[in-house]
Amino acid sequence: MTRFLKAAVQGGDTVEAIFYLYRRTMANRIRMALRKPITYVYLFFICFYMVLLPFSFSVMLQEISFDSPQGMAAVMTALAFFILPSNFITYAKRKGLLYRKSDVHFLFPSPVGAKKVLIYAYLKTLLMSVIMNLLGAVLGAALFHVVWWKLIIYFVFSVFVEDMLEACIMIFIYGNEFMGERGRRIFAAGVYALLGLLVVIGIYYYSGYGLSMETLSLFLHSDQLQLVPVIGWYIAALHLLFVGPTVINVAGTAAYLIFCVVMLIIVFRMRCRGEYYEDAMSFADDYEEAIERKKSGEAARIGKRKKFGKASVVYKGRGAKAIFYRQLLEYKKNRFFILDSTSLVMLGVGALLAYLCTGNGGLEASDYILPCASAYMVLIFSALNGKWGKELASPYTYLLPDNNFKKLWYATLMQNIQAVINGTLLMLPAAVIIRMPPVTVMLSILFYVILNANKLYALAVAEVVVGNVLGRFGKQMFQLFIQMFAAGTAAVCGIVSYAAFGIDVAYLLMNVILALVTVIFMIIAALNFNRMEKA
Amino acid sequence: MLEVINVSKQYRNTLAVDGVSFAVPDGKVGILLGPNGAGKSTIIKSIAGLLRYKGTIRIQGLDSGMTEAKKVFAYVPELPSTYEALTVREHLIFMQKAYGVNSSEEETNELLRRFELEDKSDKLGSELSKGMLQKVSICCALVIKPQVILLDEPMVGLDPAAIKELKQVVLELRDKGCTILISTHMLEMVKELWDVTFVMDKGHILGTYTRESVGDENLEELFFAVTGRENEQDDTLPKSGGSGR
Repeated sequence: MTRFLKAAVQGGDTVEAIFYLYRRTMANRIRMALRKPITYVYLFFICFYMVLLPFSFSVMLQEISFDSPQGMAAVMTALAFFILPSNFITYAKRKGLLYRKSDVHFLFPSPVGAKKVLIYAYLKTLLMSVIMNLLGAVLGAALFHVVWWKLIIYFVFSVFVEDMLEACIMIFIYGNEFMGERGRRIFAAGVYALLGLLVVIGIYYYSGYGLSMETLSLFLHSDQLQLVPVIGWYIAALHLLFVGPTVINVAGTAAYLIFCVVMLIIVFRMRCRGEYYEDAMSFADDYEEAIERKKSGEAARIGKRKKFGKASVVYKGRGAKAIFYRQLLEYKKNRFFILDSTSLVMLGVGALLAYLCTGNGGLEASDYILPCASAYMVLIFSALNGKWGKELASPYTYLLPDNNFKKLWYATLMQNIQAVINGTLLMLPAAVIIRMPPVTVMLSILFYVILNANKLYALAVAEVVVGNVLGRFGKQMFQLFIQMFAAGTAAVCGIVSYAAFGIDVAYLLMNVILALVTVIFMIIAALNFNRMEKA
Repeated sequence: MLEVINVSKQYRNTLAVDGVSFAVPDGKVGILLGPNGAGKSTIIKSIAGLLRYKGTIRIQGLDSGMTEAKKVFAYVPELPSTYEALTVREHLIFMQKAYGVNSSEEETNELLRRFELEDKSDKLGSELSKGMLQKVSICCALVIKPQVILLDEPMVGLDPAAIKELKQVVLELRDKGCTILISTHMLEMVKELWDVTFVMDKGHILGTYTRESVGDENLEELFFAVTGRENEQDDTLPKSGGSGR
């Protein structure tokens, strides 16, 4: 047995296994992506933005006098505030590294060392980091006029020093088996303390120089900032490179490099036998669950499980009505019943609209602002399937002995009721402030509700017509197309009738047109609603 | 040999496993039995190194956390997952590299053939059905030529041909001196395989029974008798040879 074990140990090359896994996964993913037409659409948009953004940013940076190497140092400093502390805190919570169930299955029980398993997870983010740093170097030349050799140093420093340090810190916190839960909490508190220090320096500059771009620039280039441990030392290194040497930034850079070496030694010598696997496994489960929920069109936050209270409901009626009452029961078990984060956002935007409508124009301005706000909010929110998506995925919906139209209606009724509440929260504050006539208020809320229903049933049409043909993105594009067609027609009629007859008639006409189209969508969706396998 | 010595595991306020000890000798097939919530999964995940626990787990005499121990240990989880962007063959290559095993292409092909995966070897993980995922998971465990293998509900999702093949593989591994621990509810499927059975409930081992001690005793009757789930069968508990708690 001993001989067998010795042979087994000598034969292993776990680093090669990690790189094999990374290499093959990447290659296969790229090959799979290149087979999908949608990849080319994404690439087009990425290239478009890559060209467009520098031009638009160029003008903005010139206006605020940030189009210099000093400006690059300032921008990178601001980015460091957001990225570094949040990364450290997520590592301290043993989150932030994405493991999949397949990693739990194959990698965790394997002889691949626990530190290498951490490096593997970090490798997954490294490619994006390299691309972003490359983009940073290109933008440095295009927007901030930094000389080429400094950009090469920046790229090499970012990829080889900064990323290595982050990997070391990640291993030190995530894989540390001496620190314990309490130790990690203290570490997180330490990072918050560093953040607090940065805020205190910011407040000092604000109170001394007031709120202006010059103050912001002074703050981002300040010596005090470069003395803050780790985050500040990194900022010092950026300043040494882009702005030029000062005593402070040379000292900060030296401290940063020494810290890198110390961390490397600590991590190399640190014992790590995989105690973090339990937390990583739990996070992998939560992550995959969130992905599944997202795929089915639900809003999902990793690790956040909904809590349900006790409730009861009296089922009034039979057949498809049971779907409605079951949904009602589910909502009653929710802490805030039918209200959710979208309702809160609608109330906030409603308050903002009320504020905007109090300005110049008042009531007249609201004629343009409110319908546009409704359309915009429907477009960006309620994009998710909600409970309807779950009904579509459930075989019981199809087995239920009732007609398709009723099933469709009762499965979506709660979402329409939700739309009435959200529409009221969006419209009512502005309506009260500008003393909008009650009829107009009701028409404006109805407009939001019908727009929402139109979107919902457009998705239902997309699900049953092209659901299995075009994939998720194609389905969304199809939905967007038919929905835009309906909304566009209504908008043209609305504008013409507003000019001729005023806002009430415009709302009424738009509502009638959208309602008609929505009913057509419902009929198409219901007609195709016979089998789980769509299209 | 697989040794579980006084292992306890607590999840917040719940003691899932309380001082569990058992051992499966070389060349023997152990069966871990127990109703839902008995603590079997916790024990299995602890052996696989996925959970923190109190106590000792040894694989071939070595602490289960040691790399040397992991190199001779294979694990087939209850719900297998594959890398969605790796092909079936790439999974096997990865396992060989991770475990430092040099299998010839013929050996790999033979394994794939035995589980009817030869024509699926270029399929990606994301393209596999549930049954095929299970077959890939079993092949990945076997390709490392383990000395100790842990199979958690290995028959679930398998077609009859694959179940027959798996049983054959288990017997072959046993004959080669491999230690096998199977956790399953499908007692009929393992009735001709087992050498020693551990019955668990509420985080404890209620009894350890060897095939010699219980003779032709039906595993199902044994299970109900030990766990007391069916009162009318209490009298069937074997009194000799078995070591109840």
